[in-house]
Amino acid sequence: MDIFASLAQGFGEALEPFHLALALFGCFIGTLVGALPGLGPTNGVAILIPLAFALGLEPSAAVIMLVSVYYGAMYGGRISSILLNIPGDEPAVMTTLDGYPMARQGKAASALMISGVASFVGATLATIGLTLFAPLLARVAIHFGPSEYFALYLLAFATIGGIVGANPFKTLLAATIGLALGTIGIDPMSGVARYTFGIYEVYDGIDFIVALVGLFAISEFLIFLESHESLNRPKIPIGSLMSAIKDVPKTFGAMLRGSGIGFVAGVLPGAGASLGSFMAYVLERRFSDRNGTFGKGDPRGVAAPEAGNNAAAGGALVPMLTLGVPGSGTTAVLLALLISLGVQPGPLMFEKQPELIWGLIASLYIANFMLLILNIPLVGLFTRILALPYWALMPTVVMVAFVGVFSINNSIFELYMMIGFGVVGYIFRKLNISLVPIVLGLLLGSNMEFNLRRAFIISNGDVGILFESGISIGIHLVTAMFLIAAFALSRRKLPQRPQDDVD
Amino acid sequence: MADRIAGTFFLVLAIAYGLLASNYQTDFADPIGTEGFPLFVSIPMGLLSLALIIRPSVDVEWPGGKALLRQIALVIVLVVYAIALEPVGFPLATFVAVIFLARFLDATWLQCVMVGAILAVLLYVVFDPILGLPLPLGLLELR
Repeated sequence: MDIFASLAQGFGEALEPFHLALALFGCFIGTLVGALPGLGPTNGVAILIPLAFALGLEPSAAVIMLVSVYYGAMYGGRISSILLNIPGDEPAVMTTLDGYPMARQGKAASALMISGVASFVGATLATIGLTLFAPLLARVAIHFGPSEYFALYLLAFATIGGIVGANPFKTLLAATIGLALGTIGIDPMSGVARYTFGIYEVYDGIDFIVALVGLFAISEFLIFLESHESLNRPKIPIGSLMSAIKDVPKTFGAMLRGSGIGFVAGVLPGAGASLGSFMAYVLERRFSDRNGTFGKGDPRGVAAPEAGNNAAAGGALVPMLTLGVPGSGTTAVLLALLISLGVQPGPLMFEKQPELIWGLIASLYIANFMLLILNIPLVGLFTRILALPYWALMPTVVMVAFVGVFSINNSIFELYMMIGFGVVGYIFRKLNISLVPIVLGLLLGSNMEFNLRRAFIISNGDVGILFESGISIGIHLVTAMFLIAAFALSRRKLPQRPQDDVD
Repeated sequence: MADRIAGTFFLVLAIAYGLLASNYQTDFADPIGTEGFPLFVSIPMGLLSLALIIRPSVDVEWPGGKALLRQIALVIVLVVYAIALEPVGFPLATFVAVIFLARFLDATWLQCVMVGAILAVLLYVVFDPILGLPLPLGLLELR
């Protein structure tokens, strides 16, 4: 099998000492960022992107570091969910439902152990799925033309609109706002400057890293000023982790089911890890809650969503790498990074830059093992860092954001823009408008437009081209299904979820 | 109410966005043209804003009092920081800005000065000499 030969080559790349060190650094920072309440993987990766530039890393090294951060943040999210009942990120919300009750019953060690193993199982199975599935999908995707890509972009927005529990009107509105922001600047096909209003700084378009850091990091501080008084952190004794290992086998079934559901949810463009952990939890409860123990500290209620969210994180890399269409907010950020580094993900990447892509996949396996060690025997280290006071933490985040954005172009104007995005991001979060679709729209808008225009140039203006191939019809059908489901579900009462929709 | 205001704002934005698109017509061999995609985006944007006006969800609780004052002060500090960054220089501007940021989070003045000094020096040293990213020194520049 050529997959194994390629993977072996990838391991050669990933096992270089420098790359290993970067992966370890990424895993550590990722777990830390994931564990800090409010700072999710999207924030974490967004804040660290400027660092990757500043370090002057080669594309493969930068990608290895940031995917390690990405996986690490998915692992770390569970720590504050279990110990503090504050999810570090959106997908970790489901983990609080049974994790925190377990911790209060004095079973924090058991919950941390189970969720750590579940994260490992979910992420590893998803990485195996990615290894087998991505090259196949890339082989199919190589035949995709502009109309198929256009259909895929529509699907990405429809699935993100279908995030369970969020108001689909607002999510889709956010996507159109992102798309509109994406049209600012010089149109590459005709050279016409659109919506620039004579401000020469935006002729190149809005740099999505500036938008991203503002929307997430700066708005975080504003949200925090409002809520921090209510955050008191009771100390919960953890107890011995190793004695908790006996609780793990009982939850293997839940982990496997959660992983399967999570991976599928992750592969769908746009949906991401939040959907993965949500569905894994809901289905596991339906499947095995016979005595009404879910929500009161059932270990399976910790295992399923953790396996689900980590599997979805791996699954979300599939469409991002093979199609260039991200599967979640965080993979959108990773995509932005790859594009900034001059790498265009898509089916051709498997042929043109195999060392990059297989190095990335191999480093995911390595990161998983590192994370297992960081997150189980060393979990005490992270719980201690959680006690770091916010008055030291938040200014650090903001200052790193400033230095990072400033370092891209040495532009003061972009700092103003970042602050502006921060205020806008804050207002949107207050209004319960998800920020992820804005980033997706800003990021994918130009490609979406380009493919739409190419399709019409090919067909000489005939709309029929959008529905010519079986693949595009199939994708449009799935899109329609998602939209109908999203609006139908929004009419039913759903459990209220926290306002920051960051996955 | 907040949803209705937001919906109205985005509706106006969508209309303005769509109308402005027609300014960007080109006679280029391209059926969609420069103006097509913005038009294509403005329609769902307008309809979704309308939906927000017609069916607003639960009202938002906006901050008041101390929290709001701190938020406004934070934005002012950040803007002043951006303005001052080049003339005053990174280390000094960061030192002062971080003192305010930490103060907004209820640190004592001593803690504020400590975290300000540590961050100003640490970030400068890490980014400028170590990572080779030139940061403005401003007033500290030796001539």
